[in-house]
Amino acid sequence: MKRRPPFVVGAEKRLTDIIGTAEVTPLLLGAVKAGAASAAVLAPEGDVLWEAGKPCNPAETKGSIPIVLEGEPAGSLVVSGNGAGGDAVKGIAAITHTAVQTLVNASLKRILTTEIHTSVVNQSYKELLEINKSLSASEARYRELAATLEKKVEERTAELQRAHTRLLQQEKMASIGQLAAGMAHEINNPLGFITSNIHSLQKYTARFILMLDYYSSLLASDPACERLARLSARKWEELKLDSICADIDDLIGQSLEGAERIRKIVSDLKGFSHVDDTSEGIVDLNAEIDRTLSVLEHRFPEGTDIVKNYRELPGFRCNPAVVCQLFVNIVENAIEARGKGLRLMISTFVNHTAITVSFADNGPGIPEDMRTRIFEPFFTTKEVGSGTGMGLAVVHEIVTGYEGTVEVTCPAAGGTIVTVSLPLQRKNDVALL
Amino acid sequence: MIEFDEQERRMVLKLVYYGPALSGKTTNLLRLHDLLSREGRGELMMLDTTDDRTIFFDLLPFFLVAPSGLKIKVKVYTVPGQVKHDATRKAVLQRADGVAFIADSRMAEGGNNMASFDNLEKNLAYVGLDIDKLPLVIQFNKRDLPEVVKEEELRSTWEPTGIPVIMASALEGWGVVETFGTLAELVYANLDQRHHLGANHGLTQQEFVQRLTTRSNE
Repeated sequence: MKRRPPFVVGAEKRLTDIIGTAEVTPLLLGAVKAGAASAAVLAPEGDVLWEAGKPCNPAETKGSIPIVLEGEPAGSLVVSGNGAGGDAVKGIAAITHTAVQTLVNASLKRILTTEIHTSVVNQSYKELLEINKSLSASEARYRELAATLEKKVEERTAELQRAHTRLLQQEKMASIGQLAAGMAHEINNPLGFITSNIHSLQKYTARFILMLDYYSSLLASDPACERLARLSARKWEELKLDSICADIDDLIGQSLEGAERIRKIVSDLKGFSHVDDTSEGIVDLNAEIDRTLSVLEHRFPEGTDIVKNYRELPGFRCNPAVVCQLFVNIVENAIEARGKGLRLMISTFVNHTAITVSFADNGPGIPEDMRTRIFEPFFTTKEVGSGTGMGLAVVHEIVTGYEGTVEVTCPAAGGTIVTVSLPLQRKNDVALL
Repeated sequence: MIEFDEQERRMVLKLVYYGPALSGKTTNLLRLHDLLSREGRGELMMLDTTDDRTIFFDLLPFFLVAPSGLKIKVKVYTVPGQVKHDATRKAVLQRADGVAFIADSRMAEGGNNMASFDNLEKNLAYVGLDIDKLPLVIQFNKRDLPEVVKEEELRSTWEPTGIPVIMASALEGWGVVETFGTLAELVYANLDQRHHLGANHGLTQQEFVQRLTTRSNE
């Protein structure tokens, strides 16, 4: 038999749970005073619960009147006389029974009322405690919200500014990329026939020279043509054909070299803008740094010395156009930091968790009071109109996008070192570009 | 203090009259008290009320003894219908063995009936009872009034649920004993499965229902 929880209200009760000696005894004494010899209330099993007058003989329950509790006989009243006056005793018994029964009913009602009232109060109290608990929690949450609201707004604003920066930079790079792609196409066409024609010209001039040599050897071998040979030699000298013949190869070779350089510049520009690939791939960061340097080469001040200290790097999963933006912004800063005699040392290395790239220049360094602000978008030390204030903000944005860190230090010896660290394993996919 | 006590050979059953405010739950008990024989029935106990509205509950107890000597007490309670007395409803509903849902038949009361029925479902779950297993009958009361929802409509809505539906007018005294009897039948069937009242105690369903619903000769 599965036990069920006790009733919250209306549990089964015995007569002794409902009424007590203090209430019943006066009624029984009243019966005795009115003339009964004894009066008693018996339990259903016959035991005497309360009595007055002469001791009651439980065996003599003749004429007992049942006392009903919730419809069930829960005991009985026994009133006995002194032998005479049976009717009077009956009357006394009837009155006493009514009194006891009324007492039982009233007490039960009072007990039930108390039970339900207590239960409701307890439950309401429990609910109030719970409500209070959740209200307190919610109040605490709102207090915290109010306290941190300002900070949150600042954070969000900074986030928005960074997103804005990123968009601006992306748009800029996209238009440069399109321009570069268009130009590359336009330049490559004429460059093609220039290169091809120079090659032909090289062949043709070689034949002319062979023919001239042939003529002079013929003239020299025939004594009859001695006069002709002398005239020709004089003209040859007059026209400085000796040095011209010697120079032609150099001229053509240099032209071909120049054309090759144009081809390489165009190809680098195209590659740098990555117009052809905008998706993530496995990239060699050393190669991307080189690509960036070749595109910026024309802007290096006189006497620039680039020192490359590369270690072999594992492939880094990223969008190559984005890392080129990253490097171009750092190198541009170095270029602008120093006029003549820029010395830029670029080092790369890898440990088991991250790739680190550092750019150390010999510029004037960054004043200490500005160092905390350099990653803010639109913060610039340049004159109005000359800088966007986006350079290091973009660097920061890209690096944090790859879950990396960027650090700018200015050693006492001078110069600025920008160190970028990019983890090989990332928690999230990058939303850049 | 358990439902079925082998040693004391007694069983206590709790039936609850549930429903929206003023649907006639107390009137049902008053009528049962008037219509049924005094034999085995206790007095109707109405706990304190304000303005004739139940604030705690009413209790009408019945007592019968099976041929085996098993004492069976059936306590019929009403709950207060007013929304604010939900804590009382939960306390009264606890450990119920059967529920009679007293609905108000008037068209305007449909919303209140539904709200109260939802409340019944919620509170049964609160006290750990499964509405799908608990004996349940629905009485559409106040059929004597005009502007009540048509009987066919009520039956077509509720009978597919399998819950017995009884039309009644507690004020005029009809449908009341039928509601009680139907609930008693369901409760017996439910109990007989677990305690074999018929086989072990010689008490048939018919006898059980008849003992509870014997009409007064007066």
